[in-house]
Amino acid sequence: MSDSEASIDPARSSEVAETVVSEMEAPPQKNTFLTPPDSDSQTADIALETPPGDCTRGNATDVAPTRKGRKTRQRPDPVQVLETQEEKPKVEEEPAKVSSKSTVAQGGWGYWGSWGKSIMSTASATVATVGHGITQAIEKAETSLGIPSPTELSAQIGDDGKQEGETRSETDKEEGDSASAMGSAMGMFSSLSTAVQSTGKTVLTGGLDALEFIGKKTMDVIAEGDPGFKKTKGLMIKTNTLSQVLREAKEREEQQTAEEVSSDTENKAHYGMLFDEFQGLSHLEALEILSRESESKVKSVLTTLSGEKLTELKEDLELIKEPFSLVEFDDEEVDEKKDDYAAEFVRELTEALERLHISTTAVKLEKASKNSFDQIAQMTNPMKEEGNEVGVEKTYTVEDVHLSAIRSLAELTARSIEQFHKVAEMILFCTTQKVTTLEQAKILSQVTIVLCKMISLLSKKFTTCLTTIGSYEKGDVLNPLITGVFLEASNSASYIQDAFQLLMPVLEVSHVQRSADFT
Amino acid sequence: MEAIWLYQFRLIVIGDSTVGKSCLIRRFTEGRFAQVSDPTVGVDFFSRLVEIEPGKRIKLQIWDTAGQERFRSITRAYYRNSVGGLLLFDITNRRSFQNVHDWLEEARSHVQPHSIVFLLVGHKCDLEPQRQVSRQEAEKLASAYGMRYVETSARDAINVEHAFTELTRDIFQLVRSGDITIQEGWEGVKSGFVPNVVHSSEEVTKSDRRCLC
Repeated sequence: MSDSEASIDPARSSEVAETVVSEMEAPPQKNTFLTPPDSDSQTADIALETPPGDCTRGNATDVAPTRKGRKTRQRPDPVQVLETQEEKPKVEEEPAKVSSKSTVAQGGWGYWGSWGKSIMSTASATVATVGHGITQAIEKAETSLGIPSPTELSAQIGDDGKQEGETRSETDKEEGDSASAMGSAMGMFSSLSTAVQSTGKTVLTGGLDALEFIGKKTMDVIAEGDPGFKKTKGLMIKTNTLSQVLREAKEREEQQTAEEVSSDTENKAHYGMLFDEFQGLSHLEALEILSRESESKVKSVLTTLSGEKLTELKEDLELIKEPFSLVEFDDEEVDEKKDDYAAEFVRELTEALERLHISTTAVKLEKASKNSFDQIAQMTNPMKEEGNEVGVEKTYTVEDVHLSAIRSLAELTARSIEQFHKVAEMILFCTTQKVTTLEQAKILSQVTIVLCKMISLLSKKFTTCLTTIGSYEKGDVLNPLITGVFLEASNSASYIQDAFQLLMPVLEVSHVQRSADFT
Repeated sequence: MEAIWLYQFRLIVIGDSTVGKSCLIRRFTEGRFAQVSDPTVGVDFFSRLVEIEPGKRIKLQIWDTAGQERFRSITRAYYRNSVGGLLLFDITNRRSFQNVHDWLEEARSHVQPHSIVFLLVGHKCDLEPQRQVSRQEAEKLASAYGMRYVETSARDAINVEHAFTELTRDIFQLVRSGDITIQEGWEGVKSGFVPNVVHSSEEVTKSDRRCLC
């Protein structure tokens, strides 16, 4: 467990970080992954349940939000639930969701071991990624900005909350008057007040102006801790396409590598560059091309239809969209004790792909996963390796394991995206009557789950391996490596899910074609 | 892969099915020849660095398209972001030579508004006894299109390097002379990272402005 992580004042760091994160996460369609429609009130009460003084470990936050959430959900505090639901539930939702992730107490990196469900929810996965950097960053930003502490704030907010109606004008006034640093900070926060709720502990929401201000400063600070914005990029610029985000990450890594004169660059694990090396970027771009083309085709077909036909087609398309928003992934199903996981994974995947009836196989994924597991096995038990080379025993360092982990994750993710790209191509020209498009959509969402499970399992295996091999290492050597593996695993899962989303228009156009062929 | 390169060029390889596109690319990128290979589905990707002048490296990103007619509607979508390409035919297959024109037309119409630099490649030149297309004939066609002509063999590794580097040099000259420019939203040519040259943050801000909705 890292001391530096634990020392961060939880109230300060996590509160403000949440606010910013909640603003930045969340393109709407991603939220569908995050929360089942009925669970808003539930998540809200989880957030509130955690006592304000609870010692959360700033950086180890949001690791296994959903799972932890489910467990705590069994004993909600009725009083607090009541309170929340009465007060503006709409505004409450966002920060509540996030704080449910971050305020749940964590036990340092040891807890990462059960990291999991977040893998299936793009939004939370991304939050996990970013939260890490942001918590620190915010703290820094706060300090340098002279922003009042949450305690001061809550007092201020308590007052402002009462005069919600007239805040706007008051804000303007205040902003106009104050020139001192403190004054402007106050002004900034008073503009928050319209959306601010005080529910026993400080919960901040909305306040776009203030957040933008914080955001700008934060970006600068994050840049220090996260060069290249590898982790944060995806969130900050949501207008970018997925491949653009990845490409930028890769380019920055390349630039870094180019600038580093040191000779040890080869040993460094650059996820983005490795991902590109496995042609992940190209497959992603090609998939994006197909997805965009399909989307515009569907649109143009819809404009040519009218009346009953149009309604019918629209209904069909709605049905096809459903499997894309209802992906649920139960991490508890991932049993890392199992020995035949690789075989199991391949079997599940192959079966699912067969049911698509579009002659596509998982050969490359199979190879990649087998490689990864073989590597883990070899690194964990180098002695057991029954080779002919008796006496030759390779010892592995934690860096070796880390590199191998990042490489495996990059390869599996690239192969997964390649798989989706091939599926898209096959769907576009194979018109089978053996299976409906809706069926195919459902199967593909299954495939996504299997792939994410695989990533999750792999990251667990690798970190277990890291822990074993690095048992003699100090925490500050081992922890960043372990965190790194989990971060890239959660990124990997996000990329896979995003790639899956790109298949939606492809299936839609396939359905449109088929129904046209049929009539 | 080495991270230091001057430019990245995206090339596309087109031509009839079974003329040997994938084999040629594999020979170039992997240095080996596969006796048996499965037909390409849609598109596949390969990359390699080429040193065109001492210290000047270009990264080639090669899009290997499916030759089969049934994939045509899909592969069309992939042309747009290529700056150049190899147009292949099989010297032992007259039909594949006759189709060169159609391939070229198709490619040219789909890269609009950009232009694309092609090299005409007569492949499988190790099979001299079965030759159905004479060198003169092919050279004539190439010059009519304003292209170079190269005869290659993936099996015997004849002219494979030459074909790719010639094309790369041609494109490099056009980039240097300003006839081809790096454009936002076009992947044909990208500039790489050279040590000690600060890569401006402009590109990032530019791409922000691009609205995809």
